Amino acid sequence: MLAAAVAIAAAGCSSSSNSTTSSTSPTSTSSGTPSATSSAAAGAVDTSVCGTKPGVAATGTPIVLGGIVTNQPGTSFTDIANMAAAYFACVNANGGINGHPIMYKIETEQTNPAQIAADAKQLVQTDHVVGIVGNTSIIECSVDSAYWQKLGYYIIDSGIAPECYSTPNSAAVNMGPRYSSDGAVQYALAQGATKIVFDQSNVPGTGYIAAGPAALAKAKGVPIVQLTENVPISDADSVAIKEVDDAGPNGAVVLNFTPPEALIILQAAQKLGLEDHVKLWGCSTPCNTDFLAQSLGPKWNNKLFVNAELLPPDVTNTPTMNLYKAILKQYGKAVSGGIGSFSQMGFTEAEIAVHALESITGGTYTVATVNAAFKAVTGFNTGMLCQLWSYGSYATHIPNNDDSTVTPDNGKMVTAQGCNLISAVDPQIAAYRAQAGTAALEPAS
Amino acid sequence: MPAWSDFEPFIVSGLALGGVYALSGVGLVVLYRATGVLYLAFGAVGAMGALIAWSLTQAGTPGWVSWLVCVAFAAAVTLAYGTVFGPALAGRDPLVKAVATIGLTLVLYGAMDLLWTTSGGEARSLTLPTDNSGFSVGQILVNWTQVIALAAGVVITVATGAFLRYTKLGTAMRAMANDRVITATLGVPVRRVEAAAWLGCGVLAGIAGLLLADLVALDATTLTFLVISSLAAVLIARLRSIALAFAAAIAIGLIHDLLTPITSLTNYRDMTPFVLAAIALLVLSRRRVMTQSREEA
Repeated sequence: MLAAAVAIAAAGCSSSSNSTTSSTSPTSTSSGTPSATSSAAAGAVDTSVCGTKPGVAATGTPIVLGGIVTNQPGTSFTDIANMAAAYFACVNANGGINGHPIMYKIETEQTNPAQIAADAKQLVQTDHVVGIVGNTSIIECSVDSAYWQKLGYYIIDSGIAPECYSTPNSAAVNMGPRYSSDGAVQYALAQGATKIVFDQSNVPGTGYIAAGPAALAKAKGVPIVQLTENVPISDADSVAIKEVDDAGPNGAVVLNFTPPEALIILQAAQKLGLEDHVKLWGCSTPCNTDFLAQSLGPKWNNKLFVNAELLPPDVTNTPTMNLYKAILKQYGKAVSGGIGSFSQMGFTEAEIAVHALESITGGTYTVATVNAAFKAVTGFNTGMLCQLWSYGSYATHIPNNDDSTVTPDNGKMVTAQGCNLISAVDPQIAAYRAQAGTAALEPAS
Repeated sequence: MPAWSDFEPFIVSGLALGGVYALSGVGLVVLYRATGVLYLAFGAVGAMGALIAWSLTQAGTPGWVSWLVCVAFAAAVTLAYGTVFGPALAGRDPLVKAVATIGLTLVLYGAMDLLWTTSGGEARSLTLPTDNSGFSVGQILVNWTQVIALAAGVVITVATGAFLRYTKLGTAMRAMANDRVITATLGVPVRRVEAAAWLGCGVLAGIAGLLLADLVALDATTLTFLVISSLAAVLIARLRSIALAFAAAIAIGLIHDLLTPITSLTNYRDMTPFVLAAIALLVLSRRRVMTQSREEA
């Protein structure tokens, strides 16, 4: 019995790795999620445009890339790496990088620093990866930042920890919890909220995240109440009551939680009849999923406003967005969440990496050439962000600092406000823009 | 210190939370009194039942059918575990029996993590028709699901107490908890009585899982480990008194929520069940030591 328990628990929880190469079989099976199967535009797109030689499988020496993602009960970022893997599979099936397929190694971790450090060494010393793409972890940036700097790796990731944004060797495609919370608070202030209640998970780094919203509220002369909650939340009723009491009728409650935790709080507020007791509710990017919009129902239409770090997929009809949906449909069987921010991030990271790899001349793909190419990416239009994406030689990197705001609309998230620069009142944003100059501000179109 | 009016809404939410703890706590005491097993998989079987119900509802199955499936699943798994492992563990130390149920918890928890992954920001919820109506108390709305949860705790407490005290099967269960061998010697069909206790506990786990999925969250981790907070109430009742377990659960819920508006304590409110259990155990053990000392004198 215990052996069976250990076996199954290990399957669900332990560190593991997998890889994908040109041998990854394309599949026409849809992900089964409502969004992934619903896009007519996606169906019309030929995924072969992802590569340089449509229909020709890459057979050369693999270019080995790697990524580390958190995968533990309640917190899983595997969709991001799995979507990057889907993009690479598409590229491999259509010419690869000058005939070389990309082999992508994914390591998972459970917020254990020793395990994360070992994962990095595994990728470098055993798997011999030449680049790191798709990292998404609660603490990986904090743990491995010095290691990557020492070895000369320039990471393309989805950031969470402060070091994902405040070090020379990490550039994220997302804004992360701090700047996304900035965006949500900025929207609430623009709507005239007279008080902000900012509530987030009681995990390491809350002080760093809270500093951004605090700076924005202070600049506007609006009082802000900072709260933290132990997760998983088992007393959502009392959490919702406290938030609403603290905010008052003209205030705003802004949440920074994972979708399941945010949903628990919002549903508790609805069941208690509290959703209309404040001016508006806000949420950082994790709430930007159709799953959440469907679960909440129409009572939250134009009541909840969610920061969106990437362009909304449901209402964006561009070649890149349609390619993303088509690749997700054809190659993204492992992407359980379907269309949404997580898979968009994975797509964008892989897209940037492929763009950088294609710029390498001479056919030599080493740690030095690949990371030099990553670092050299400048003004790249990802088709997924409000602005052009650049890496560059900066001490800090916040290349995505221009966002939009969405709101539920009968089970879908729709745009409430288009692209809008995050305020430089946040000192970290101001510091980055001072280094990057116009590269930090260029809109995508 | 907040004004009294600031605490009022938290009384309602605290009662609802206490009802949540009571549902699990009463089920745990019932099984322990009948079989001597502290069933730590109580939360996990209810959680998996609720997730199955959610999947069925998503597939278009009528709500009442999926709710019945939830209860039937929890009952079947619990009965199967009790039937297969109960006799083998009957003579073992209570600690061994309790730890064995952690094995079942891990199996179910691992299975839930694989089958209902939370990657991709998936957020699930299970709502009952009773969520949509209720009555106002002050500024907040009390829905009928919360009332049902609290009432279910009361009804189950009273009904189980009466069952154990006044029925033949209940008497047999109490006798078995005291001494399984002597009870068997007296001609009581031990295995059948144990099976009835496991089945009853499983039904309670299913009902609790359904209500908790609605009242707390449809999340495997939350529901599986919610039982730990309920354990505090069970320990305060010293694994014996159903009524005391119910009262302790309500007290834990109330105190927990009443701490929420107190800024200096709000982040420590999740410690409430364990602090109260520790205090209760210290007081009870001190009283026992004093009684023994008096007897020795």
